[in-house]
Amino acid sequence: MGDEIFAAMRQSVIDGDAAAAAALAESALADGVPPLDAIEQGFVPGLSYVGEQFGLGELFLPDMMLAARAMQKAIAILEPEMVRQNATRHVVGRVVIGTVKGDIHEIGKNLVGMMLSTSGFEVHDLGVDVAPDRFVDAAREHNADLIGVSALLTTTMAGQRTVVEALEAAGMRPRVKVIVGGAPASSSWASEIGADGYSEDAIGAVALARKLLGAETASA
Amino acid sequence: MVYYAPKQVPVHQARSPRYDRLTPADCARLHDASLAILERTGVRLHDDEAVERLHGAGARVGDEGRVFVPGSLVEWALSVAPRSVTLHRRGGEPAITLEGDNAWFGPGSDCLHVLDHRTGQRRAATLADARDGLTLVDALPNMGFGMSMFLPSDVDPAMADRHQMAIMLERTTKPLVVVTYDVDAMRDAIEMAEAVAGGADALRERPTIALYINVTRGLVHNGDSLRKLLILAERGLPALWIPVTSGGTTGPVTMAGNVALNNAGVLVGIVLAQLVREGTPVVVPGFGGDALDLRTMVDPYAEPDHRGMVPSLAHHYGLPMFSLAGGSDSKTVDQQAATEAALTMLVDALAGGHLIHDSGYLESGLTGSLVQLAICDEIAAWIRAAIGPVEISDETLALDLIDRLGPDGSFLETDHTIAHYRERWYPLLIDRLSHSAWQARGATTLAERAAARVDRILADHRPQPLPEDATRAIAEILERAAGTPRSAPQP
Repeated sequence: MGDEIFAAMRQSVIDGDAAAAAALAESALADGVPPLDAIEQGFVPGLSYVGEQFGLGELFLPDMMLAARAMQKAIAILEPEMVRQNATRHVVGRVVIGTVKGDIHEIGKNLVGMMLSTSGFEVHDLGVDVAPDRFVDAAREHNADLIGVSALLTTTMAGQRTVVEALEAAGMRPRVKVIVGGAPASSSWASEIGADGYSEDAIGAVALARKLLGAETASA
Repeated sequence: MVYYAPKQVPVHQARSPRYDRLTPADCARLHDASLAILERTGVRLHDDEAVERLHGAGARVGDEGRVFVPGSLVEWALSVAPRSVTLHRRGGEPAITLEGDNAWFGPGSDCLHVLDHRTGQRRAATLADARDGLTLVDALPNMGFGMSMFLPSDVDPAMADRHQMAIMLERTTKPLVVVTYDVDAMRDAIEMAEAVAGGADALRERPTIALYINVTRGLVHNGDSLRKLLILAERGLPALWIPVTSGGTTGPVTMAGNVALNNAGVLVGIVLAQLVREGTPVVVPGFGGDALDLRTMVDPYAEPDHRGMVPSLAHHYGLPMFSLAGGSDSKTVDQQAATEAALTMLVDALAGGHLIHDSGYLESGLTGSLVQLAICDEIAAWIRAAIGPVEISDETLALDLIDRLGPDGSFLETDHTIAHYRERWYPLLIDRLSHSAWQARGATTLAERAAARVDRILADHRPQPLPEDATRAIAEILERAAGTPRSAPQP
């Protein structure tokens, strides 16, 4: 019985069917299925599958967004019971992301945020034109494991170095990892400024984040 | 009414009538939609002076730089904006005119990588690559203007654009489209161009450069872009006001909405420029309507869906336009690269795209290739032949000759054939040999022949050197800039 409902939950997320996901969540509650099990054995595998397929170029970003939306619907229904049972969802990591001071480009960063959050990370997006101290403060406030810094222009990318330095000065390195992105960045740039990694795209960013935080690689 | 419009000698291209993707009714509806966006949703301007100027001219201003521009202001601006811009060669002769159905091709700027044909390696671009690129542009007969091609990784990033400008001025006499990262660099670039042109007046009256302003998005105009526009308008120099909207992310995924939104931002730029100096030349985008590829998350350069839309709209306004064609999403110089370059260049030429940039671009603009540029030059020549006007006259009908030779006669040895056969296009890189001849010559591919052409040009072509005083002036500007401490960048 348990397996069937979990399989249905997984499928509802893959189908991006928020109504079905919600109904299954209600069902689970009614049948006394532990909400954490419903999430981690039912819905999350669906999202992982979608994320994988997207990474392979088989699914489109909107498919991921619909899947995430279905998942969120289900979680919203299960949350009150989780709180009552004092159960907390396993978060792969806590991430703070933003675009550096002087730069207002954000689409790439937004995609990374979306992919990380659908992959089980807790994401705090500071937006654009973010000063180095705001990155540091947010890292502290949210107890972040990872900072993602975006810059699209060669004239603003130096700000990525400044963020690494600010985290260093605040004594948060090497515990808090830093990854960089944006067209002018590269692996050698990341090394040069003392960051922990670089990804060319949002899909790679998730793999990189998992690797840096010692998380296992995803399986469907 | 005060008009500022330097008297320019236009360069006309003989060609057959253009192709229009949109009808006049389509264009009118898009224009109305843009006006509706401006009046209802407004645009966010990150510059106080720009906001003030629009406010002073009757626009309503909301929170944090949000401006609502009335349709009447737009109509006025469209009535005074120049309908033609002629760009000149070094020396002041008219070279290309952005007007009517003209189509001129050129490279792009700022590729981070180069696909080095000598090694097959994709590597970070350098100053040497920029020099080679501009030498090639100078020599290629079908490239009408130059752009920097590569972003040199071997200089201080804060100086890269100034070095690009120096190289462009030094390596080609063709007109240039100039990209700079900030206002100070733009000022320095203009100063360099003035040194070569013989002063500010000479540059304004016979402009050799057009300045490309990359605006963040259709309805969000960053401060740096606005400041550049105001300066260029004040000086009367051609400004390429280019907001971009990516379907599905910064604008609707449907093309009409995408174009209407971006066009709203374009109209604001035209208004601002004319408010500063009535009659100052503004070049509008001749491309747009594309969407992010939602599978690969790459902004494609050769998407077919939107082609020809924005050129139709620019023709509807009668404004000079800056188009985009000749770029490929391929990572290498292969069939995809040639196909995408050829198709995009052909459609834009048919559409009369005026200033058409990005020949030689691979990897969606991230990697440049000299070989691909040479192939684009050949494509441009093919296109020129394919859209040329067809002369139907007594001479070309040759009825007397036809009758003289009779049904069975041979035309090969006639004076008429000898007189006219060279009017046909004969390719440089495209191969038409018989199989055995092709084999005897090495059984080469297009890419191999293009690479050989690139190497020949780089070995033999000597761009006309700059006069000494200009070289010195440029060096001084570079030195001065290198020695200047720079403040933090502004968005």
